[in-house]
Amino acid sequence: MKQRLINGLAGIIVAMLLGAVVMFVQGYNPIETYYALFEYSLGDWYSFSTMLRNSVPLVLTGLSASVAFASGPVNLGQPGQLLMGALFATVTGLYLDLPAFLLLPLMIFAALIGGMLWSGIAALLKRWFNMDEFITTLMLNMIADYFTYWAISYPFAEPGAYSPMTPQINRSGWMPEYGHFNSNVIMMLFVIIIVWFLFTKTIAGYEWRISGKNSLFARLGGVQTKKNYMIVMLLTGALAGLAGGLVVMSGPHRFIKDIGANYAWDGVMIAMVANNGIIATVLYGLFFSTLQSGALGMELITAVPSELIMVLQAVIVLLVVAGRGYIDILLRKQAERRKVRERTT
Amino acid sequence: MKIFIGLINGMIAAATPILLAALGGTITYYAGIFNIAMEGMMLGGAFFAVLGSYYSGSWVIGIISAIFGAILLALIFILFSVVLKMDEFITGIGLNLFALGATTYMLRQIFSVKGAFAGPGIIPVPYLDIPLIKEIPVLGEILSGQNLIIYLTVIITIYIHYLVFSTRFGLRLRAAGYNPTCLNTSGVSTARVRVWSLIICGVLCGLAGAYLSLGYVTLFSENMSAGRGWISLAAVILVNGNPLGIALISLVFGFSDGLGLYLQQVLPSQFTSMVPYIATLIALFIYSTRRKERELYE
Repeated sequence: MKQRLINGLAGIIVAMLLGAVVMFVQGYNPIETYYALFEYSLGDWYSFSTMLRNSVPLVLTGLSASVAFASGPVNLGQPGQLLMGALFATVTGLYLDLPAFLLLPLMIFAALIGGMLWSGIAALLKRWFNMDEFITTLMLNMIADYFTYWAISYPFAEPGAYSPMTPQINRSGWMPEYGHFNSNVIMMLFVIIIVWFLFTKTIAGYEWRISGKNSLFARLGGVQTKKNYMIVMLLTGALAGLAGGLVVMSGPHRFIKDIGANYAWDGVMIAMVANNGIIATVLYGLFFSTLQSGALGMELITAVPSELIMVLQAVIVLLVVAGRGYIDILLRKQAERRKVRERTT
Repeated sequence: MKIFIGLINGMIAAATPILLAALGGTITYYAGIFNIAMEGMMLGGAFFAVLGSYYSGSWVIGIISAIFGAILLALIFILFSVVLKMDEFITGIGLNLFALGATTYMLRQIFSVKGAFAGPGIIPVPYLDIPLIKEIPVLGEILSGQNLIIYLTVIITIYIHYLVFSTRFGLRLRAAGYNPTCLNTSGVSTARVRVWSLIICGVLCGLAGAYLSLGYVTLFSENMSAGRGWISLAAVILVNGNPLGIALISLVFGFSDGLGLYLQQVLPSQFTSMVPYIATLIALFIYSTRRKERELYE
């Protein structure tokens, strides 16, 4: 645990130093830049609550990828599932005019269904035709991208808008805000607890984890791996769909083009850097949200393009994962050497 | 007839980047590397092609710089997956994200634009007219007047087939994937073979990128590889890496792309853009049902 923490921090620090070198070479002041980055994401209550609000889709898609990878299925379809969840929630919010206590749960339900539908297609293709989910989910991402683009350009389009988008959803479908604090964060905490409990404290979660580690062993031990595969795919699709629904309900309150572009690969990225651990996923999700939320402030103050954060994130992933693997190799070598010494004496 | 020729030419044009990237992917496939970084290498190549072409005013420099850019990404892949023994899947995804972030950042930093960069300063790769063949009625319009990179691709496809199946390097390449321990004990370093396979993959993906940004269109836009790297990965898996099979399957994917353009007259463009991805799903479907039959037969 401690080793993981050190590894993660070391990776982040080295990546940020590399980023500092890049900035320095291009004539920016790295210290000032990083100060602005964190000032605008953690500096005051407004920035902090914005960071929390933005972390919701990152953490949820991260959890989706983590649970999937740790249980076996390589579900890379979070971007598509997120879009479908967002579309389903938006359409529900557009056409149903109900009081908030009815509409909010209904929209969340629709988002879950939307995500599940999209991951369910991939799961069925695997179940029936044995098609690898890691390519089918990728192709379904592209298809979802164009499908939602069509949906907001024609059937659900806002007439006269300058770019494709839907009209705003009904007011009672907005996630309630308290001050600047958006209640989608509460929803996220709720989901984190459920997923954590399900994954680490129940028999089903144990079966998933065992199937992820060694599917043959699990099957021989009496685990219904095929059924579990379906459940995990549907669950992780639902998580990504929920992320999409909450983006619409807490952010622009409508489906605008490229709504999911920012979160496209972030879930997978966070799961990889967190080594599929639930708590690590939440922490890295919050950290990546800090970087992304502060990026605009950074650009405003120091003129460093916010795209730098995209590079920084990828470098952090590569360094942290490589560092983790390398530490494991070193430890194993040390253990072997010790064993050899014990045998010779 | 005109529609027919248009479809064929559209098919060839759309198949070329997929084919080049898939040939790169097949080299690493034979070497036993699960390489999914073609998408990123292609994107990097496309960016560096525009960069080189714009600043030197020469498409030759553009192609060379594209290959250089893609090899740079291949070297990062080598550093993490071969040297540091990191999981290849994670390395690939990390590298793709790095390529996307870095090209977007550089697009902003160097060309000061967001989204896409186009301009008369970018010199495209020329189209070649072949003197005698040009005169043949229908075939002439297909065989002549194509982009230079397309002719190169034909030669490369045949050469890769020769390289993999008829040379010493090809034998070692296949051994590296088939039985790395055996190759190591016979005195050839598997790691070195893998490094070379990744560099070749970089060269081919760089060329694919150059074709995208200097041939297919003359501009660079954010994330312009648009999943072609993934489709090329599917192509490699579908034919178990055979270079000639890849050429055929790339043409099928290219045809679906061209077909999409023609369907635009009856369908909204969002649906026609889905066609290549749906075609990939259908191809995977056929592959897996055939595999099932074969397994039953055995």
